[in-house]
Amino acid sequence: MKVLVVEDSKEIASSIHDFLVREGYICELAYSFDEAQEKLLLYSYDCVLLDIMLPDGNGLELLKFMKEQGIQSGVLIISAKDAMDDKIRGLEGGGDDYITKPFHLPELHARLRAIYRRKKLSGSNIITFNEITLNTDTLEASINGLLLDITRKEFDLLLYLVVNKNRVLSRQSIATHLWGDYTDNLANFDFVYQHIKNLRKKISAANGADYIDTVYGLGYKFNASKV
Amino acid sequence: MKLVDKFTLWFIGVIVVTTPITSYICLNNIERKIDDVEIARLKTVNMKAAARMTDGSSVNIPRDASFTTFTLLPTLPADSFRIRKDPDPDGNHKSLESRLTVSTFMNINGKAYEVTTSSYIPASRQILNAILDTVAWKLLLIILCVAVSARFLSQHILHTLRLTMKKIHNFDLKKKITFPQTNTAEFKELNTFLKKMTDRAVEEYTAVKQFSENASHELQTPLAVIRGKLELLSETNIDECQATLLADMHHAIEKLSKINRSLILLSKMENNEFAVTEHIKFCRVAKDVLAAYEDRLEMKNIEVKRELDKNIQLRIHPVLADMLMNNLLGNAIRHNVQDGMIHIILKQQKLVIKNTGLPPETPPEELFERFRKSNQCSESVGLGLAIVKQICEVCDFKVSYRYKAPLHILQVDFCPESVINEAEQDKFETAAVVTA
Repeated sequence: MKVLVVEDSKEIASSIHDFLVREGYICELAYSFDEAQEKLLLYSYDCVLLDIMLPDGNGLELLKFMKEQGIQSGVLIISAKDAMDDKIRGLEGGGDDYITKPFHLPELHARLRAIYRRKKLSGSNIITFNEITLNTDTLEASINGLLLDITRKEFDLLLYLVVNKNRVLSRQSIATHLWGDYTDNLANFDFVYQHIKNLRKKISAANGADYIDTVYGLGYKFNASKV
Repeated sequence: MKLVDKFTLWFIGVIVVTTPITSYICLNNIERKIDDVEIARLKTVNMKAAARMTDGSSVNIPRDASFTTFTLLPTLPADSFRIRKDPDPDGNHKSLESRLTVSTFMNINGKAYEVTTSSYIPASRQILNAILDTVAWKLLLIILCVAVSARFLSQHILHTLRLTMKKIHNFDLKKKITFPQTNTAEFKELNTFLKKMTDRAVEEYTAVKQFSENASHELQTPLAVIRGKLELLSETNIDECQATLLADMHHAIEKLSKINRSLILLSKMENNEFAVTEHIKFCRVAKDVLAAYEDRLEMKNIEVKRELDKNIQLRIHPVLADMLMNNLLGNAIRHNVQDGMIHIILKQQKLVIKNTGLPPETPPEELFERFRKSNQCSESVGLGLAIVKQICEVCDFKVSYRYKAPLHILQVDFCPESVINEAEQDKFETAAVVTA
């Protein structure tokens, strides 16, 4: 997947870049409105990560520009403005999804993947990894074709892990992904633990490999090299 | 006591004190005038009588109730006049008139005579009565006029003061006020002073608010940077000890960004960025939030009793409705005990959430303050209830907390204006049909 990151903060841009490159994506950076415009005209990208607040223009303008030029890339809007109207304007202006700073990189990644699936893989809703198959439409997960009896939250968790395989996922990032930002659930990491435990049990019960590792002190990791 | 009443009373007091003095002066003047005129008249009568006597014509002609007598004297006294005033000629203390007697001593045809004429004038008591009567009327009229006109005058003069007071009463730190024009010097001074003061307050408030808004806003990016870098760092080869340190950092960053988010949210609400335009089904919000928390309720094995009335519509921004419910329910779960209980009641007029939990350590009135939290849960940011309170302020709801062992009870009373009743709902529905 080829991604353009339009972000004026060099540190954030480089963090995203490092993260995505490790994922095997081709990732280009643009630090300003003009630079982004130029790159969008010259090359084509599968996805654009777009910061709304740019020093020399508004990201929403860039959305308009993409529409006019008929650029088909998926767009994930990044913004420090946690404002409702910004969100709505961004999504109405052609953004596919929206994430607010500060975000977790795996969360950004999961959303990017979702946009990519909807846009590029012509809405393919089947994700497979070895013996695990996830259907994002029906929210069904199966191991070797055997349907797992899992809850919505467990499905989301498994999807999050698979999309971010081989990455350490902090409990915070998992909690935020599953329950959103509104809930002040810092104290509730035991919930994450509980969900992971249940998920592992259910995968083992269906004779799936135990891919989920606990990384001491940090969180969890979907270890793809386990067989 | 009102200013106008004070002035009126003072004025009336002055009148009441001065009236007896002026009445006394008045009485004296009138008496003196009457006496002088009468004495002068009686003197002329005496002179005329003496002249007739000199001519030898008849003398004792009664005239105007006065009569003249001649008395032969051995010698002429030194003074040529003697005046006597008898206030009680009838001798029964009830005389309505006093007798004025003027004696003139003169030589008539070579003999010494005392020519005496008497006449009756109104007694001073009579004059006094008349004066008192007048004064009573005068006082009554003055007091009435003062009382009435003072009200009107004060209405007129103090109008600007009242306007100023109203402005101050409705003073809001968010915007400057302009005071009404006035031509009264003192009010001008007052208005100038107040204007200076309020403008300064508004400016300082705005500056402080902007600082905190900018600060929290500018913090977002560095927070995102730190978070990202930490995530990248945790991907590298690290040992257990480093992992623990990283985890603690993660934790702190998380907390920081939560605090920041909540503060931004609070200032947004203070800036009225959540104007209420639509009405939403609050019962549905409650159901959704409950569903979202299901797994956590299960984990603590909390029993939930629901009494949710159907079709409860409120005028509240959907984001705020969501947050209100989220915060209240989140609290009820977080501060709950294992195998506890939560009782949710949603009625047309109120939302009540009762939950079991440890007894509170902070006094109830402090619970809604920012960064106030019980020690049982040092993990929480302590802004949840501050946000709840702010949401309730924005929507004109009343929120209250009480502890009735073993239950913590949080109640939100919706304001009648924000509840959309059945009739209105029907109207909306028909309107929707029409527009459809």
